[in-house]
Amino acid sequence: MAWHDADSWLSRSFGPYLSTILLAAFVSVALPLLLHLYIYRKTAPTSLPAFLLIGPSGAGKTALLTLLERGNPSPTHTSQAPLSVEITLPSDTAAASNKYRSASDPTAQKNSRFLLIDTPGHGKLRHFASAQLVAPQNLKGIIYLVDAANLSSDSAGVSGSSSSGLTEAAEYLHDILLALQKRYTNTKTSKGPGETPVLIAANKMDLFTALPAPLVKAALEAEITRVRDTRAKGLLDSGIGMDEDGDREERDWLGDGGEGKFTFKQMEEVNVVVEVKGGNVVGGQGGEVGEWWEWISRQL
Amino acid sequence: MLDSFEILSTSGVVLWSKTYVPVGANIVNSLIRDVFIEERTKPAADDGAGSKPMYKKEGYTLKWTTAKDLGLIFVAVYQSLVHLTWIDKLLDNVRALFTELYKDQLRQPYTSAVDCPFDDYFDRQVQELEKTADRTATRPFEPTPTVEFTPPSSSGTDNGPDAPPPMPGLRKAPQKSVYSDTTSTDATPVPTPETSRPASPAVSHLLTAKGGPPRASRRAKKKASATSAPQSSGDESPAHRMRDKKAAAKKGARKWDDFGMMDEDSTDNLDYSTTDLAGSTDAPAAVEAIDSASWGKRTGKGEFVLKDLDEEMDSILANAGAKKASSEPASGIVGSSLGAVSGLFRNVVGGKTLTKEDLAKPLKEMEDHLLRKNVAREAAVRLCESVERNLIGLKTGSFTSVDQTIQTAMESALTKILTPTSSLDLLREIQAVTAPNPLNPLAAPRPYVLSIVGVNGVGKSTNLSKICYFLLQNKYRVLVAAGDTFRSGAVEQLRVHVRNLSELSAREGGSVELFERGYGKDAANIAADAVAYAAANAFDVVLIDTAGRRHNDARLMSSLEKFAKLARPDKILMVAEALVGSDSVAQAQNFNAAFGAGRRLDGFVISKCDTVGDMVGTLVSMVHATGVPVVFLGTGQHYGDLRGLNVKWATRLLMS
Ligand SMILES: Nc1nc2c(ncn2[C@@H]2O[C@H](COP(=O)(O)OP(=O)(O)OP(=O)(O)O)[C@@H](O)[C@H]2O)c(=O)[nH]1
Ligand SMILES: [Mg+2]
Repeated sequence: MAWHDADSWLSRSFGPYLSTILLAAFVSVALPLLLHLYIYRKTAPTSLPAFLLIGPSGAGKTALLTLLERGNPSPTHTSQAPLSVEITLPSDTAAASNKYRSASDPTAQKNSRFLLIDTPGHGKLRHFASAQLVAPQNLKGIIYLVDAANLSSDSAGVSGSSSSGLTEAAEYLHDILLALQKRYTNTKTSKGPGETPVLIAANKMDLFTALPAPLVKAALEAEITRVRDTRAKGLLDSGIGMDEDGDREERDWLGDGGEGKFTFKQMEEVNVVVEVKGGNVVGGQGGEVGEWWEWISRQL
Repeated sequence: MLDSFEILSTSGVVLWSKTYVPVGANIVNSLIRDVFIEERTKPAADDGAGSKPMYKKEGYTLKWTTAKDLGLIFVAVYQSLVHLTWIDKLLDNVRALFTELYKDQLRQPYTSAVDCPFDDYFDRQVQELEKTADRTATRPFEPTPTVEFTPPSSSGTDNGPDAPPPMPGLRKAPQKSVYSDTTSTDATPVPTPETSRPASPAVSHLLTAKGGPPRASRRAKKKASATSAPQSSGDESPAHRMRDKKAAAKKGARKWDDFGMMDEDSTDNLDYSTTDLAGSTDAPAAVEAIDSASWGKRTGKGEFVLKDLDEEMDSILANAGAKKASSEPASGIVGSSLGAVSGLFRNVVGGKTLTKEDLAKPLKEMEDHLLRKNVAREAAVRLCESVERNLIGLKTGSFTSVDQTIQTAMESALTKILTPTSSLDLLREIQAVTAPNPLNPLAAPRPYVLSIVGVNGVGKSTNLSKICYFLLQNKYRVLVAAGDTFRSGAVEQLRVHVRNLSELSAREGGSVELFERGYGKDAANIAADAVAYAAANAFDVVLIDTAGRRHNDARLMSSLEKFAKLARPDKILMVAEALVGSDSVAQAQNFNAAFGAGRRLDGFVISKCDTVGDMVGTLVSMVHATGVPVVFLGTGQHYGDLRGLNVKWATRLLMS
């Protein structure tokens, strides 16, 4: 039986036979299904709202992540890679969108879940965080964690007019806010990137050297003003004109005009609402993160 | 004594840890920072057979191993004073066990928690390895396996079976090694030639006095006996040795049993160690007595659970060993061609587990590519090695080929290298030094001192003038010190620059002056004078030019140390040409080391970047050789042609 015989498998597979039709039908139905299943299992549940954890190294980002996930913080070390974790809101803090839903509504459960993305804070590894900012997937907000015990100026180094901890925190925050502002100004569509709430979470309130939240806010604003000044006067960098967005030679300032004192209020013009709240991950029973939970639930 | 053992993920979460003595978190943190992130200390890593890389910090020694595909790091921390020879094996075993037991949990996305009751496994591993280590250590004539302080690459002699046997009769039968292919799950100890000769009392005394808890001191004593054994064993009679051999065998068996009886037997345990020390004459008898008893116990029911655990552990470890062996290419035509086809397929679709062989060729191409971009060979090789280290054992993502994977890995390696650890805002630093500080009135404002060093003819004076121009634009008062008292015409050249600059900046509000003392004087003294003069005359910044010097001219290089001491610059920048080729690494390293202990370069200025197009490899070579960041790029002939480094720009050029 050669391949060109009337009843060879090749001829059959092109002939009007029931089995052939059934097989073809089966394949054409099953293949997309299988493909879908395969790909779906591989990709993230992207529909979940996401929050980004950013901050200098040692601020307690990873500790906070484990605390929110498990209810108690695990010991941590310097991170080298980002980590996404799915977290469910505790039952006593309901998501904002659930306010008018009855408790037995099954979608209520779904709405209280979100992804928290931890990023490394080490100076060399911040590109993970900036990559997340550029291509956000359902990004609902940014939590910028600072170590409030490492900001006070009396712990300043011998030569610095401000402590290096504060400078680092302010520089990083400046860069993040600038990136958010750029994202806003660069989107030409009317839709825009929407509102990006930023929570500045002043961590380690359990330590007695920690600054209270209002002072953290003032210190950061003052320091960002200084950072903005020197950045404005600094040299252009070699990447000018490299990005798609521009042969624009001029630089971007943070806030309006880049003059005078910087305040977080100025960011509202570019749809970035900044709030500062205190708390601590370690110490007490499971830390003091109620205000942060409340902020997260408000964004959902 | 092991202080602590931690299993952590690359994302920073400690999954499991065992602490014997609390160790500050900063110890492991600095390991991660220095070795994994900043790659300041280059680990002579060697996966598998060789000994593990190590890192020292504040009196601790850290050894580690990684499981790349799962993103795990296993770290053992112990005091540098003690020599632990079994740590390498422990790391390997724990890695094999942990990854096998919890791999499903570890692969779970979107969670950081791993439920791992690992304590039992770990304890038993430690006990077992300590035991075998003690045994190996007591072997006579054995080259002491405490190879920790030799570089890992050179220490091929593990304490394994392939250690050269000093005497034919003494060749040790292969001990129960985890990666040996003998899948013997039975723990019946193999008779080992061993002397249980006591330590000299003095030594043991010393160590006992030091030891804290009883267990630790016991081990210390054993150690002592181990180290003293080689000297004493020279005069042993064969008969003596025979008897000892027997004793050792029994001893092993008994200890094995102790695991089963852990708590009840602990007193015996201590007893035993004292008899061990008391002298070889009565030791065998005592040992035998206990032995027979425990042989009986061994068949008892009491130890079932623990034995199961042991068996499970052994089989996992044996499997790991077998897997390693079977990962060798399949033999036969069918096997190999099938493998090739599926390899090709996976190369396209992704999901291929990368091996050294897969990476060899594309990495070689990558290396050539980097060389074409003017990256020094040394740096290119090391970069490729680090990429290889990071990729071996990883799976390629879906729909990414090996080449693409290497490309992205190299890109992120370059980004990591070129990105400075802390920000390089010169103006901020100047502000911090020169502005009066209301909070810290003791630190009186003083001029900021910046000096420039480099090889002859790379453009030191030119770049100094560019920096000067930049500072003048920011309305600073700048003093330029002519520290090149060597080359004729150098001072005149600076004078011209200063005249030009003061004309240019007259409108902007800055002011600049030249400080010169002619030729032939000692540059270090001139620099110190200039700083004093600037402080007295309320200058904000002092820029010190220095004589160009060949980096291999020992006499001129050594004068830099004095210079750094006298002038005490806040910042020392080295100027290098973008054109420089293979010499760049040596240049950077020599200059970096020239300022004496405790002072290094603070940054590089890479000049003439406009002349090299996309061949900006010098950036990478210099930074990779020293870990010192690039602060400025010179990009042209004008005073304004000075730029900061944009890392994205540089990596894009390098990868193009
Ligand atoms: N006292 C105190 N310590 C805290 C608090 N939160 C975190 N820490 C400690 O801060 C240290 C650093 O925390 P991590 O979570 O590892 O810091 P990180 O922000 O993830 O740092 P990187 O991963 O390097 O970016 C840990 O030792 C925590 O135990 C807090 O509220 N109070
Ligand atoms: Mg972290």
